[in-house]
Amino acid sequence: MAWITKNAGTMQIDRREEPYLSDETRAKLEAEVIPRYATRQAATLPVLHEIQHQHNWIPYQALEEAAEFLGLSAGEVIDCATFYEEFFLHPKGRHLVQMCQSLSCELCGHEPILEKIQQKLDIMPGETTDDDRVTLMTVECLGSCGTAPALMIDGTLHENVTWEQAKRLLDDLA
Amino acid sequence: MALAEPVLLKRIPPPPWGNVADRKLVTYSDYVATGGYESLKKSLEMPPGELVDLVKASELRGRGGAGFSAGLKWSFLPAPDGERRYLAVNADESEPGTFKDRLLIDFDPHLLIEGIAICCHACQLDTAYIYIRGEYHHQARVLEASLTEAYDNRIFGPNSQLGQINGRDVHCYVHRGAGAYICGEETGLLESLEGKRGWPRIKPPFPAVAGLFQRPTVINNVETLADLPDILSRGVDWFRSIGRASTLGENVPGSYGPKLYGVSGHVNIPGVYEEELGVPMSQLIEKHCGGMRNGKKYKAAVPGGISMGVLGTDQYDAELDFDIGRRYNVLGLGTAGVIVMDEDTDMVAVTRNIARFFSHESCGQCTPCREGSGWVYQMLCRIEQGDGKYKDLDLLDEIARSMGAMPGTTICGLADGTNWAVRTILEKFRDEFESRCTASLVQVGVPSSA
Repeated sequence: MAWITKNAGTMQIDRREEPYLSDETRAKLEAEVIPRYATRQAATLPVLHEIQHQHNWIPYQALEEAAEFLGLSAGEVIDCATFYEEFFLHPKGRHLVQMCQSLSCELCGHEPILEKIQQKLDIMPGETTDDDRVTLMTVECLGSCGTAPALMIDGTLHENVTWEQAKRLLDDLA
Repeated sequence: MALAEPVLLKRIPPPPWGNVADRKLVTYSDYVATGGYESLKKSLEMPPGELVDLVKASELRGRGGAGFSAGLKWSFLPAPDGERRYLAVNADESEPGTFKDRLLIDFDPHLLIEGIAICCHACQLDTAYIYIRGEYHHQARVLEASLTEAYDNRIFGPNSQLGQINGRDVHCYVHRGAGAYICGEETGLLESLEGKRGWPRIKPPFPAVAGLFQRPTVINNVETLADLPDILSRGVDWFRSIGRASTLGENVPGSYGPKLYGVSGHVNIPGVYEEELGVPMSQLIEKHCGGMRNGKKYKAAVPGGISMGVLGTDQYDAELDFDIGRRYNVLGLGTAGVIVMDEDTDMVAVTRNIARFFSHESCGQCTPCREGSGWVYQMLCRIEQGDGKYKDLDLLDEIARSMGAMPGTTICGLADGTNWAVRTILEKFRDEFESRCTASLVQVGVPSSA
């Protein structure tokens, strides 16, 4: 739910010496991404994608660094980042398992598969396993309605998924 | 006239398509070898204004859901003043039931890229952004690779075939979203492109006048742009010979051209099929999809993405064109993502699923939508569990109506989607809801079948 405000006022901020946005990344973004847009703010989504790609999630300190890089206030970047579901502002597992729960997938039987995945991983959607291996999420429509049910693991879409296949895929995750 | 051969899907094999990784992509050389980029050459010989008139004359209507005339939309742009003008390609395909744009990008991205180049020339736009949803990881990579090919072959970039527009080289970029359905709404998409939360803007000003970075902007769906090369190569008369005029009156725009129908749910062979506009749903299911799954009977169907409402059991033969809304008590054709449901489907569960989607995807800007969609979802959960009261059904109808039926209660159309979906199912399948409810004061012992 994009509109639920997060408890930014009372949150603990973990900081580290080494910047999340390295000089190398900054130079790359400056050369490849910034010239694409009329304002620096428009590069917010690509910059956040890059940070998440490198660090698996987006720590608060990285949001501040992104704001400084883009010439914005931290508030403007946080305002943007909290809106989008694909930006993880809390640590997530090494692997991300997303099960589609929209209408076509429900009609084609996603529920028994999801239940078995929950049992196997011993977590509910939105949670991460104790060993930080897998984060399970339910998502709305992966655009795979014709090949439902759909399961996305680390950005790779698996279509017409059966429990046997899902089980194999989960076993293969390191 | 019926569609003799596939047009948009001419380079794409029929389903089933197998897994994403095994699909054979149409590369630049494959595309050119099959007549690709000829239409772009043809369009570059025409003055931009003539091109806009041509698309207007074809009566091409937007394929993204609203069905607004593409040529008319283009003609709203002010005259070029030498400053930047933008094209935003809407590839934020997030409506449940819709997967047609993904297929085009998966197999034939150059068809889209050629359409973009034609549009840039017609409307004198110097920068194009393809806004693709965050979940389409593979498709974003495909587009990046295909755009590199296009740059290498001088479709875009310095010294390109398009030359300079507004005194600048023409560029096309991929911009990835990050998981928000509302960014498919045109002004929400612009906000997201500007690096803000995807909150739809109040119109006017319309994007044609003050869109991206407050400059004139055209926003078109992937399939709309993919129609352009064939309109140019085969002509307006060919395009208008497919589909049909409106049956509702002379001044109502007709439904012309080929259309991609994404069929999913309880059919034997789900997939994306190309047909003329106005094809009856029964024909789509029986001719292309191999009939209903497991020999079951048809019960209901969503005509074009879940925000459009539901076709009832007696509307199996509904013709899927832009007039569908006025004829069959649904919101419209939408994206033509047809979700078919068989006789065993629990319509209360379907409504609950749809309501959850909208309550989850409401951007939270307007109170009626933010609060109303959540209330509707909670009530439907209660009814599904057998705890509903009869009066809940009237309340449900009332909330849905006050969310979206009255124009002007919300900024964008998301609330209307919730309203139409909930209300049409409630109207057409009320007995199913009633059998789950009990009277409010006296428990009459209706067994809950949940």
